[in-house]
Parts: sequence; C-alpha cells; structure tokens
Amino acid sequence: MKRVLALVLALCLALSLAACGGGNSTSQPAAGGSGSQGGGEGYTEDITLKVANYAILESGYTEFWEGVKAGFEEKYPNITIEWVTAPYGEITNQVINMAGGGDMVDVIFSELIWIPTFVEAGLAAPAEEMLDEDFLADFYPNVLEAHQVDGLTYGVPLYASSCVLYYNKDIFEAAGLDPNAPPTTYEEMLAMAEQIDGMTTADGNKIYSFGVPTASVAVSGSFLNSVVYNFGGSVLAEDGTLAIDDGFTEAFEMIKLLDDKEYMPQNAKAKDLRNLFALGQLAMYYDQSWGFNGVSSINPDASSFTASAMPLKGGDGNGAGTLQSHCFVMVNNGDAQAWAAKEFVQYVITPEVLNDYMNNITPAYPVKNDMADCLPAMLEASADATTQAIPVPLVPALNDFNLELCTLAQAVTVSDKDVNTAIADFETAANAILAG
Amino acid sequence: MSKASVPARRLKAATGDKLFSLGLLLPAILLTFVFILVPVIDSIIKSFTEYKIKNVISGQPGTWNNFENYIKLFQNDKLMPAIITTFIFVFAVVIAQFLIGFILAVILDSKIRGSRFLRSIMMMPWVVPTMISGMVWLWIYQPQYGLLRYLVQVVTGGSVLDFAILNNPNTALLGIGIAALWKQVPLTTLLLLAGLQSVPNDMLEAATVDGASTLRRFVSIVIPYMMSVIKVTVSMSIIENFKQFPLFWTMTGGGPDGSTTTLAILSYREAFVSNNLGSGAAVTTVWMLLMILVVFVYNKIFRAEPMD
Repeated sequence: MKRVLALVLALCLALSLAACGGGNSTSQPAAGGSGSQGGGEGYTEDITLKVANYAILESGYTEFWEGVKAGFEEKYPNITIEWVTAPYGEITNQVINMAGGGDMVDVIFSELIWIPTFVEAGLAAPAEEMLDEDFLADFYPNVLEAHQVDGLTYGVPLYASSCVLYYNKDIFEAAGLDPNAPPTTYEEMLAMAEQIDGMTTADGNKIYSFGVPTASVAVSGSFLNSVVYNFGGSVLAEDGTLAIDDGFTEAFEMIKLLDDKEYMPQNAKAKDLRNLFALGQLAMYYDQSWGFNGVSSINPDASSFTASAMPLKGGDGNGAGTLQSHCFVMVNNGDAQAWAAKEFVQYVITPEVLNDYMNNITPAYPVKNDMADCLPAMLEASADATTQAIPVPLVPALNDFNLELCTLAQAVTVSDKDVNTAIADFETAANAILAG
Repeated sequence: MSKASVPARRLKAATGDKLFSLGLLLPAILLTFVFILVPVIDSIIKSFTEYKIKNVISGQPGTWNNFENYIKLFQNDKLMPAIITTFIFVFAVVIAQFLIGFILAVILDSKIRGSRFLRSIMMMPWVVPTMISGMVWLWIYQPQYGLLRYLVQVVTGGSVLDFAILNNPNTALLGIGIAALWKQVPLTTLLLLAGLQSVPNDMLEAATVDGASTLRRFVSIVIPYMMSVIKVTVSMSIIENFKQFPLFWTMTGGGPDGSTTTLAILSYREAFVSNNLGSGAAVTTVWMLLMILVVFVYNKIFRAEPMD
C-alpha cells in the first residue's frame, strides 16, 4: 500500500511538472493591425492600457504618475491604465521578456538611449503611424530628429535635456568668483577650477571643482559623448560606424587633464556627482537637467545655491551637447489599444499635465511649441542647450558602445594611460561592438 | 509450487523494484530534464546562431552563422582577460573563504561563551540578498563619504584622504572579493562547523590518551573525518564564485577600465546590453565548460574516501 501511495504521489508530481510546461505556448502578440493613423474615432469598449514605467517605483515621481493615471482615467472612463514596473536598470528586459511570452505592453516610458533596443526588438511602432499629425507637427524638429531611426520617429519626448552645467553659486562666491558669471569655455572653467581647488567644506571635506560621469553605466557614455560634441568632435557617423576625430581626442585629453589636476571625482556615476553637489562638495558638474531632482531630494535647500549654464565650448566646438530625453515608445497592439495609447500619450504631453512637473519636480526643457512657457526658471540661463544639441545616431548596440566610452574615460583617468593608446584600444573594442 | 517458478518470481520482484524506483525518480528526472538539460542544450544551440531579441519576440529561430559568435569572441581581446579575472577571483575568494570559515568554525566549536548567539548573528550576511549586499558595500567603499574612507582617514591620522578601493583597477577586484567573503563566509562556517561536530569524540579522546598533540589530532583525525564536508563546501564555493554576477554588476559594472570584467559580466553585456543573445550564449557556453572543467579537476584532486 505504501509503495502504491508513493508511486501515486510521484506520478502527481510528474504530471504537475508536465502541466507547468504546457502554458500558452501558442499565444502570439496581438496582430499589429493597420495602426490607428490618428484615428479620430473613439472606442467605447473597456480597454486596459499597459504602460511600462520604472518611475512609479521611484518615490520622487510616484505621486505625479498616479495623478496622471487618475486624471486620464477620469477623462477616459473606459480605459484603465495598468502599470508594468521594474527598477530603472531592468525595465527594458522586463518589457522584452513579457513580449517574448506574448504579453505586450502598449506604451513604454523610456530613456532616449533605449529606443534602439525597442526598435531592434521590433516592438517600437513609428509615431507617424500612431499619433495625430498636428500633434507631431508641434514638436521642435531637432528634438524629434533625435528620436528617429531611418527617418521614422520611434520615441515621443515628454521633455528634453542636454548635458547642462550645474554650478554652486555659494562655492563660486567663497572662491572669489562671480556667482552670476559661470564659465563658457573649458579654458575659463579650468581657471575657475584652479581657484576652487584646495577649498574644503565646513567639516573638512574636499570640494571638487568639476565633475563628469565616467563610471561604467550606459548613461555615463552619453555624457562623454556630449563632452566630445562640446569640442566639435564626432563619435558615430550617420551610418552607425565609428567616426572619431581631433575633437574626440581633445575631449579625452581634457578629461585626463581634469583627473591629473585632481579637479574631478574619479569613476563617478551621475548620482554620485548629484550627492556630492547636494552636499556642497562639488562646484560644477554636467548632468541631465532632471538630475536636479536627485540633488534636491538629498538637500531640499539646493535650489538656493544651484544655477545652470550652457555646456562649455572647447577647441573648435560651439558647446553643443547630446540631446537626452524621457520619451514614450509606443507598441502597436491593434486598433483599440493603439487608439488608447495615442490618447494617453497626447494627454500626457501637454502643458496642463507637464508644466508643474517640469517646474517643480524634474527641471527639463520643453520639446513642443505649446509647451514653450514650461521652461523652469532654473534653466533659463541655459535655455538654448537643447536647441543646439546634436542627435546621437541610434545604433542597436548604443548602450554597450556607451559602456566602452566609459572604459576609455577610465583608461585615461584611473589607469593613467596615454590618451592615444587608450583611444587605439577603444577603437578595437568599439568596432567589434558596432559590427554586431 | 514448482521449483522453476521461484526464480521467475524473484525476477518479477526485481523488475517490480526497478520500476518502483524508476517511478519514484521520475519527477526528479523530469525536473532535471525540463529545467536544466533543455535550457543548457538550447543555449548551446543558440550560441551557434545569430539570435537577437526580435527572435525571442517573433518566435523565429536563430540562423546559423558559421561560428561567428565564437570567432568574434576570440578576436575581440575580451575573452582571455575575462577568463583570467574570473579565475583570480575564484581562486582567491575560495581559499580565503575556506580559511576564514574554518577558523570561525573552530572558534564556534570550542564552546566559548555566547557561541550560539554568535552563530545566529553570523548568518545575517548570508540571508541578505546579494544585490543588497552589493549596494551596502558600495556605500561603505564610497570614496568621498563612505565608512571605509572615514576609517582609513582616522587610522592614518588624516594623511590618506582619497582611498577609493573600487576606483583603482589594481584594487577593485579585492573590494568585490571582500564583499563576496562577507556574504559567503557564514554558510561556509556553518557547513564546516557541522563537519567538525560530526568528528567522533571517542577517537579524539583515544588520541589524547595516546599522547597525540593538538596539531596531530587535527591533521590525522579531524581533517580526514571532515573531508567529505570540506569537499562539498569548497565545491559549492567554487561554483558560487564562478557564477558571481550581482556583486560585480552592482558595484563596478565590470570597471574601472575593465579590471573586474568577469565571464559573468561579459556574458551579460553581450546578451542584455548589446542585445545579442547568440553571442551572450557563446560566452555562457565557454563559461560553463570552464566551470565543469574546474569542478572536474577539483574532484579528481580531492577525491575523498569516506571514513569508516
């Protein structure tokens, strides 16, 4: 009897394992459909709109996004927003894994540099097919261009930023500098950095003069790319091949110089620089405009000493930076879902929804004519930063390529390698990445 | 009853026993097949194909690419440094982990006051998720306001103000190794303590009566009796450190200047940063083969005979 019982139990376990393997292997993503093409017609059926959004998990942004959901659902009672969440670093994998299992999200709140991943995956639908023509026509052309792959727009920006120079007016004043005259060139910055060098905080901690992220995080690569653009250099050609030049070399020589003079915290992530800036241990640094949210969450008084300035000019460059944004990537899951996604995107990207957010939560530059008045006072001094920003070619391996730029910056700083040798190593590694 | 029917009945009983055993093993066999063998074989097959995210989403199989993933891997000068870094990390951490674990196990076995309390407290790092451990150590190592920087400043009387273990390519691996030890030593200690407590007291007492020194008792009785536990503990440690990923990704992301890029980091970058799953699978296959080789060699060298 015991043997029979044992066998029955084993059989049940085996069968349950087999059942686990069954699943819905035949389920496929909803057909792409013909696209809503702006569709003026509404749908009255109940629709659940899946929006992938890492920001929901970040305390500084939760309230805003819950407010967006409430406001949108009130306006469209037949549409329910279902958040799909994961931490910042995992949201792309979360969306892709879900799609691999046949569970497609409808909208993704994305970084600009994630767009190539979603395009490569075949998830992103061109905004030209999903949104109203007049809605798209209101965006600034250079901003939309930065979100294009092969001439089609795959990300719809909520707001944008370039690499803004944030500086601490109190430190400037204490160093005998004019707090209302930030540097405009790298030469001026170096002169000011020299004056700041050697200063300490009240509790004896060193004050760094200047900061740019170089730690191994993909977004650090965007900042380094921006420094190259400051010098009038190039990184990638339009066709996605490596196109480094003298401006590129000058940019990394500057990074090495800043490190040699110990003006710059080594191997820092953007959030490390925000912490130091908030604590008064960093005088000037490059950040996305919305990085100030991280600063003020550590030091609520930060707005009293923080000011922004245009990216610095170096060499033959005019101080252009890279354009960065938070954008919506849309997935075409059939007419009804596409219509709901369109309504959601066009609801959010309006002055009514974003004005307060851009002014009081996450300082950012407007991307559309009807949002021109949303520019926060803190960014007025650097209002042209996004206008002159240069789009980065959105190649599929952009994130890995950005990590390689970080390795190059680390080679000339923490490893103290010669710039030309480090660039030669970088070229080998980068070409392998870009070759796919 | 005829005599001929007895062997036949025995044969039948033996077959029945075998079938019964097979029936009981069936869930385990299925589990191993479905969740281990199939994914491993699938990954190996994908390593010979161009397989990207769009294949996952569309359900299209990868296309054979003439060993391109492996050729690229061996040509881009990243594989060998990653293998070397992985081996240095595994070798150093496993040895340190074993020595520290053994010393702690001996201390806890010596019935000092509060050893039971210490045993409970000591397990805390082990229950902390690895990702969280990485974040905690990242803060401890933070070069401008981290705890370690403060301690170094105090110990050196303020002469060293820029100690940044993770920012130096020569010390970054050490920094992660310390975090790995903090996380893994408790389990090693617990396993070795269990082994120590299984050494028969009567043997030790007999050796004491015969005049054997403490060292002699340790080498000739304790170690041989613990051999099977030591072998399992070290095997687990090798595997755990060979596949260590969260600490590396959280604390350095493979930097600075590639100094902490292990096979785990290389595999992740290929598969999930470059979104080239075929290439990532190629790294994983090399990684798996190396791990099998290391564990095989280890088992060959440290073949433990059970003590009677």
